[in-house]
Amino acid sequence: MARILLVEDNEMNRDMLSRRLTRRGFEVSLAMDGREGVDKAKAGDYDLVLMDMSLPEIDGWEATRQLRGDPNTERLPIIALTAHAMAGDREKALEAGCDDYDTKPIELARLLSKIEALLPDAS
Amino acid sequence: MNPPASGSPIPDASKQLRHELRTPVNHIVGYAEMLLEDAADPAHAERRALLEEAITGAREVLVQINTALPPSTAELSAVDVAALYAALQPPRERIVRAVDALGEVPGVAEDPDFSGDLGRIREAAGRLAPPRDEGAARAGEGATDTRGAREAREPDGRARILVVDDDEDNREVLRRRLERDGHAPSCAADGREALERIAGERFDLVLLDVMMPEMDGYETLQRLKDGPSTRDIPVIMISALDDLRSIVRCIEGGAEDYLPKPFDPVLLRARIEASLEKKRFRDQEVDYLKQVDCVIEAAASVEAGAYDRTSLTHVAQRADALGRLARVFDSMASEVRSRETRLRSRVRELRQEIDAARGQRVTSEDFEGSRLENGEMFAGRYEIVELLGHGGMGAVYRAHDVELDEDLAIKLLRDEFVSDPESLERFKTEIRLARRISHPNVVRTHDFGETGEVRFLTMELVEGLTLRELLDSREKLGVSAVLAIAGQLADSLAVAHAQGVVHRDIKPQNLLLDPDGILKVMDFGVACLAERSSNLTQAGAIIGTPAYMSPEQLIGEAVDERSDLYSVGVVLYECLSGRPPLDGSSPITLIAKVLREEPPPLADLADGVPEAVCALVHRLLAKNPGDRVQSAAALSGELARMS
Repeated sequence: MARILLVEDNEMNRDMLSRRLTRRGFEVSLAMDGREGVDKAKAGDYDLVLMDMSLPEIDGWEATRQLRGDPNTERLPIIALTAHAMAGDREKALEAGCDDYDTKPIELARLLSKIEALLPDAS
Repeated sequence: MNPPASGSPIPDASKQLRHELRTPVNHIVGYAEMLLEDAADPAHAERRALLEEAITGAREVLVQINTALPPSTAELSAVDVAALYAALQPPRERIVRAVDALGEVPGVAEDPDFSGDLGRIREAAGRLAPPRDEGAARAGEGATDTRGAREAREPDGRARILVVDDDEDNREVLRRRLERDGHAPSCAADGREALERIAGERFDLVLLDVMMPEMDGYETLQRLKDGPSTRDIPVIMISALDDLRSIVRCIEGGAEDYLPKPFDPVLLRARIEASLEKKRFRDQEVDYLKQVDCVIEAAASVEAGAYDRTSLTHVAQRADALGRLARVFDSMASEVRSRETRLRSRVRELRQEIDAARGQRVTSEDFEGSRLENGEMFAGRYEIVELLGHGGMGAVYRAHDVELDEDLAIKLLRDEFVSDPESLERFKTEIRLARRISHPNVVRTHDFGETGEVRFLTMELVEGLTLRELLDSREKLGVSAVLAIAGQLADSLAVAHAQGVVHRDIKPQNLLLDPDGILKVMDFGVACLAERSSNLTQAGAIIGTPAYMSPEQLIGEAVDERSDLYSVGVVLYECLSGRPPLDGSSPITLIAKVLREEPPPLADLADGVPEAVCALVHRLLAKNPGDRVQSAAALSGELARMS
């Protein structure tokens, strides 16, 4: 069962996404801001991080950069999530070190295929 | 997000607004899709359709947002914002309608997860409406075209300010300055004109010159503060006078502030902004209190039976505690109302059956011979009117109580039952308990009496048919009618059981139905007499058929409330199918079947009976009391929930 860390400050987004992913068989952990996200990602053993880009404390880009800077987490798959859908957001996310990028509203099928693409083949 | 009051664009306003609007859309789509996954069952087609509707609405919102605020837009004017919110209104209302309709779908209100998520969707839709202090929101939902002179804010959110000064140049200077600052100024040349303008239009603020001919500023201020509809408009006095006394006089008169002429434009702007801000807060408070009033009124209308859920739509969209109160209140009131409607329609059907049967009523045969004559005086107090029928206990007469000048029912108890002193005493104990039961579905027992060798009971007189007569006439009854019977039966048993009385002889002969469809259960406590009789083989003659008795009762084991529930099961089975669950050529054969055989599935014998009802009846017929519904109160609850 793949372990996903969801870093999202909005309560309803957290609730929705974690429930839907849990139903699909993922083990979902939550972090409510950038700092908590970085701490948990470094301490825990996650297969993938879903990172909302606009977070309090430190934002998603900065959090991603910090994770990439740490040898433990430099290879940890990170998918950026954003509600903005602005031109340049994708490039910005990839530049910060994210592996992929998805916009809200979340289309679950789309997000799932991105997640699966990044996870090592299930053992 | 507040539109820029100064008229100049806020940096990143577009990005911020896009985020603020896409977030609730995200929530609507996310929760709706999750609920769709839950509603995969073919029985939930209606839910799915409505959820799709909400999602479509949300997608429309997204289209509008992307059109009005394409990613490249950095600057944003207040006009753009207002136009966007106006464009969002139709799809937003579409979402709200779908959510409201979902709330009405059977089964939804009872499902806390589903309702909870539905509430979140509604809340998210509320966040697609413009912020509360905008003139559009104040005008109420869907009132985009009622922006008459009564609107306090211009459609683009600019404040309406009235400048009152007798000097034309002053007026002009102020007007231009206010326009530059992003407000919507109007002018009046004197106090009288000012009052006229204010009477005709709503203003957010009045700038009032003190020194004016005819009606000066003080007097104008006074008039404004005296009027109930004008006293809340903030007034800033402007004057060349600069002494403390005139300042104090203005403030005492109710002016919010005072500006000396020549005015400092920066100071002017700041004070105007402050006044407008204060007014916004006051308006919000007033509005909040009005919405609280809506909820209070809704409560009153529920009591009056006139609740209209559209009265709370507005309040229900709030994202705060008041909104939640309104939503919970609405779902509770709707649930209560739909239950009442269900119950009423069930009783209606039952009444129709009763009416049909009464038309065909045949007087029951007298197999024993009437012991009393019509017109005969009985026990020195009761004048016999007519024989009503025969119960297992004895003949029942309608009699007139000459002392109380009221009609009642008298049941003569057959000698066999009352000859044994021990059983008689037990019987009296039961009667004492039964007399305490006061319930619309229980025939009241008044008294036990003796006259000569004859013992009798006096009871409430009920005009109506027995269920036995109804069934004999109609064969079987519709589901709604049966549920009406079952509900009342369960209620009456719940009350009796709570008093420690087990009926022990529930059967169609003991269930009376009056013309209004009210069920009345007879003979509480009387059945214990029969139980003490040892000869069960003669059961057919003495107590009627054992068809309605529970297995444990038949073999003489301990009997409790659940035995009554078994009997209820038999009655309901017979009502729905036209025949008892188990039948036998002789009492012995019947008893054997009751103890050992399972009744044929009700669904095979009765068309159109919902599965849940069949399952409930079979549960009541479980051989083992532990497998039945465990209490009459629980049965009541299950019946009330059935649609």
